[in-house]
Amino acid sequence: MGGKTGIRRRTMNQISITRTVTVVNRQGLHARAALAVANLVRQFDAKVTLVLDGQRAETTEMLQMLSLGAGQGRTMQVESVGPNAETVADAVASLFANKFYEEE
Amino acid sequence: MKKLQGIAVSSGVAIGPALVLDYEGLSLPRRLVMPGQEALEVERLNQAVAVTCREIATDRDTVSLELGEKYGAIFESHFQILQDTKLLGELRDLILRQRLSAESAVQEAMRRYADVFEKIQSRNLGDIVDIERRMLKTLVGRRREDLSRLDAPVLVLAHNLTPSETANLDTNFVRGFVTEIGGPGSHTAIVAAALEIPAVVGIGAVLDQVASGDIVIIDGDKGLVIVQPDETTIAHYRREREQLRKQAVRLEALSDKPAETKDGVRIVLLANIEFPAEVEHCIARGADGIGLYRTEFLYLGQAIEPDEEAHFRAYTLVVKSMGGKPVTIRTFDLGADKTPSLPLPDREEERNPALGQRSIRLSLRYLPMFRTQLRATLRASATGNVQLMFPLISTLHELRQSKMILADVMEDLDEAGIPFNRDLPVGMMVEVPAAVMMIDNFVDEVDFLSIGTNDLIQYTLAVDRGNKDVAWLYNASDPAVLKLIARTIEAARRRSLPVNLCGQMSGSPIYTMLLVGMGLRQLSVPSSALPEIKAICRNVTATQCEHIARHAMTLENARDVKSYLRGELTKWVPELEF
Repeated sequence: MGGKTGIRRRTMNQISITRTVTVVNRQGLHARAALAVANLVRQFDAKVTLVLDGQRAETTEMLQMLSLGAGQGRTMQVESVGPNAETVADAVASLFANKFYEEE
Repeated sequence: MKKLQGIAVSSGVAIGPALVLDYEGLSLPRRLVMPGQEALEVERLNQAVAVTCREIATDRDTVSLELGEKYGAIFESHFQILQDTKLLGELRDLILRQRLSAESAVQEAMRRYADVFEKIQSRNLGDIVDIERRMLKTLVGRRREDLSRLDAPVLVLAHNLTPSETANLDTNFVRGFVTEIGGPGSHTAIVAAALEIPAVVGIGAVLDQVASGDIVIIDGDKGLVIVQPDETTIAHYRREREQLRKQAVRLEALSDKPAETKDGVRIVLLANIEFPAEVEHCIARGADGIGLYRTEFLYLGQAIEPDEEAHFRAYTLVVKSMGGKPVTIRTFDLGADKTPSLPLPDREEERNPALGQRSIRLSLRYLPMFRTQLRATLRASATGNVQLMFPLISTLHELRQSKMILADVMEDLDEAGIPFNRDLPVGMMVEVPAAVMMIDNFVDEVDFLSIGTNDLIQYTLAVDRGNKDVAWLYNASDPAVLKLIARTIEAARRRSLPVNLCGQMSGSPIYTMLLVGMGLRQLSVPSSALPEIKAICRNVTATQCEHIARHAMTLENARDVKSYLRGELTKWVPELEF
């Protein structure tokens, strides 16, 4: 269920947050889900990277996100960097928890 | 070197670099660019990405509007995929570091992702394939525009070429073409012959074996296409090409001589044309007139219907150029594989276009278009020797209706004081079996007949003339077809009505003696065939021809007829190598 607080770092006004999230929806992080994540992050002044088993994908890189193979039940890290790091991380975690607001 | 067999539709030999158009399939051969061209190729890739993204964005907006955001999102994700900086970087590297062509780079990069997606069982594997296809289409497809910017001779290879695309090929640069689909009787084939460039259709899958730039040989007589020929083969075909040129020169010497048999029977040799520009060749080759002016090409590739003046201009150009020799104008034969880009009202997708609302049926349904054409023809009849012909007549009712509308248009012109030939000869194409069965009635109501074997063969043998898979059944030499031709000639003779044959069969040397022997004294042939057919006429006697026809009509199947005719041709006209 959802994401819980992870590591928090502060460097020169750049807040860096890492959250752990689980993919709960049936279709996993497929194209439309990835789109939702990308669109969400775009609204914030932050850089977000998804990390699964060492493989990294920025939310601006659709193809890399889809290549993660984040199927249902997989857990991954959400690293967000920027002045709004915490807000974004919360928002993304919420998105994952809510199955990307898709009808299943 | 690869040798492929297709259907020969326009004779001659062409040797040169291929230009592959509009690739629709999944795999292209791996290609490298020349050293130093890498930066340009990256630029080409960037442009293709931009164009593809624009197309995807348009689809996204359309689909979102019509079906909702949920479906539009599919295209949005495709759009985003093409923005992926890692992907774009990989593509650039493949070009700059490995000198791959843009197409090969796209294929290689997308294949890698496809493999990954397959492994992780991503549901978006299909999207990757879709995007790859789109990109390849853009990259290769852009060449359709390049067709208008050619600067060197090429041989065009495409999945298909519509009749109007074929008609618009610039033969100064396009020296031959090959299509994967298409049949022997299709209009594309006819236009190819009119353009007088070697062409082969129905070759099957070839685009995944050839890349633009590869040397290709097109043998338009045997229907052979050779990809990346070896030196021996190239030398062989160069010799062939030279021999054909010499023969053409020899035949040209006959241009001012009449098509008269050795026993003094005069055969009127007319020509079939699609465009006014062909008239020049017809005159140079000594045609006795135009037996068939296919006017539908005035409509093809046009966004708006040609008006009366456009028709009139084209017709009078032909009529004046022929200087008193007869010109037979056929009203439009649209439909089937000549679908125009004109938005005709109430027109739905036809499931059976060859049997549908085409040709005279279309004319009788869209009267303003029909009347425009009739007016222009009548006006042209005042400027020279003009005849009018209706296509695809299948019933007496249809013929009478058409004539009534013609009479009506004549009245209009009378009232407006516009001159025309009141005694304009009006004839019909005999191309529907029903018309042959009723030919004794038809001969009372027309001034001449023209046997259209292209469609007659199709309808008699129930074979789609544009379908390569049944091409082997489409035979002018089929006894059933010959019997229908014979019946028509006989009916015309009883009424002393002029009759000619204007299908592609008339331009095929093996049938000349048969047709003359069956009683035809007029043939309307593709302009490129004029010299050959004339040469045959001048080398035989009508008596020989009658003997040949009598024997041919006893044979039971198309193949036997064809073998026999071929044998006779070689026997009596050996000097012309066929």
